[in-house]
Amino acid sequence: MNKTKHNTIAIIVVLLFGCILFYVGTDGFRAYTAETARVNQLMKDQPQFPDVTLEDSNGRIYSFSEFENKYVFITFMYTACTTVCWELEANMGEVYNLIPEQYIGEDIVFLSISFDPEKDDPETLDRYKGYFNSDGETWRMARIPDQTQLDNLLKEFGVIVIPNDSGHFTHNSAFYLVNRQGTLTNIMDFKKIEEAADTVTTILKNDKGE
Amino acid sequence: MDQFKLGLGLFIFLAIPPVATFMESVMVIHMHMQMPMLIIAGLLIAPFFQQRFPRFFEKWNQNGLPGILLFIIIIGYWMLPRTMDEALTLQSVEIFKFISLPFLAGVPLRDSWKKLTDFQKNSVITFFTIAFLGMGALYTLAPDQLCNNYLIIEQLTLGWAFLLTAVGMIVYLLYVAFVDPSQYE
Repeated sequence: MNKTKHNTIAIIVVLLFGCILFYVGTDGFRAYTAETARVNQLMKDQPQFPDVTLEDSNGRIYSFSEFENKYVFITFMYTACTTVCWELEANMGEVYNLIPEQYIGEDIVFLSISFDPEKDDPETLDRYKGYFNSDGETWRMARIPDQTQLDNLLKEFGVIVIPNDSGHFTHNSAFYLVNRQGTLTNIMDFKKIEEAADTVTTILKNDKGE
Repeated sequence: MDQFKLGLGLFIFLAIPPVATFMESVMVIHMHMQMPMLIIAGLLIAPFFQQRFPRFFEKWNQNGLPGILLFIIIIGYWMLPRTMDEALTLQSVEIFKFISLPFLAGVPLRDSWKKLTDFQKNSVITFFTIAFLGMGALYTLAPDQLCNNYLIIEQLTLGWAFLLTAVGMIVYLLYVAFVDPSQYE
C-alpha cells in the first residue's frame, strides 16, 4: 500500500509540473505561437518609433518626425512580394477607405515601409502604390535607405524578415498603429479589416473628444 | 557503461554549437531528428541513473505511469509551435530543450516502458498517433506561418513528416492488433 502511495504522489507531482510548464510556456494559455507572444509583448512594451530617415515614392527625404502629432498606421512590405504583401496592402487600402475622411491626413497618416531598400527605389514604390490607389500623401510608401536604421526599426517592432536565395523574403505581417507621440500602441491582425478600422476610428474619436 | 558513454557522446555531439545550429536551421530536422536524437541520448544514459538510484525509480515510478506521463508532457510541450521558435531565439529555452528531452523524456521513458502493460503501451502509441495526425493536419493545412523562424514550405514539410510518422505508428498498431506472433514460432 505504501508503495503505491509514492507512485500516486509522483503522478500528481508530474501532472502539476505539466500544468505549470504549459501555463508558463504559453503565457497563461494565451500564446501558442511565437507571433502571438510577440504581439502581446509589444503591446505591453509599447516601443518608441526610432528616428529613421525615409525616402518616399515622390523621392522626398524626411525623418519620421515628419508625422509628429499625427497617428501613423504602418505596414512593412516589399514590392517584389507576390504573396502576402498584396493582401496586406490591399487590406490596408480597405482600412484607409473605412476611416472617416475628416481624420485622413489631418490626424492619421498611412505609411507602408519597404524592408527591401535595394530594389524599392522611389520609382518602384511609385508604380507599386498605383495598384492600391495610394495617393502618396495621406498614404505614403517609403523605403529606409540606411540598412542599420532599418534593421533597428525591424528589431524594435519585432518584424522578423528572413531573406531567401531568390531575392524574396519571408516575414510576419500585421497592422501597426503609432500614436501622436511616436509610441507603438496597437498591433492588429491584418486579415481583420473591419476590426482594425473600428479600433483606429474609436481611438481617433476618443482623441478628438479630449 | 558502454551505453552511457554512447549516450553522453551523442548528447555532447548534438550540443556542439555548429551542429545544433545546422540542425535547427531546417524545421523538419529540428523536430524530427534533433529532438528524437536528444531523447535517444536520454534512453542510452538511463541505465546509468537506474543503477545509481534503483530505490528512487522503484519508489517513485513503481508502475511506470508517472514516468510515461512526464514523457508525454515534455513531448507535448515541444510540439507547441511557439517552443520551437523560442528555442531558436531564447537561450534559456534552448538550454531547457537540451535538458528536458534527454533527462525528463528519454530517461523516464526507458524506466517506464518495461513496467507498462501491453494495453498501456498501445494506448501511449495511439495517443501519439492521434497527436501526430493532428499536428500533421495543422502544419499542412494552416494558411499562416506558425513559426516565425521558418518558411511556409518548411512548415508543410514538417506537416508531412508528422503524417508519415503517424502512418508508421498506425501500421504498427494494426500489426499488434491482428498478428499473433506465436503462430509463427
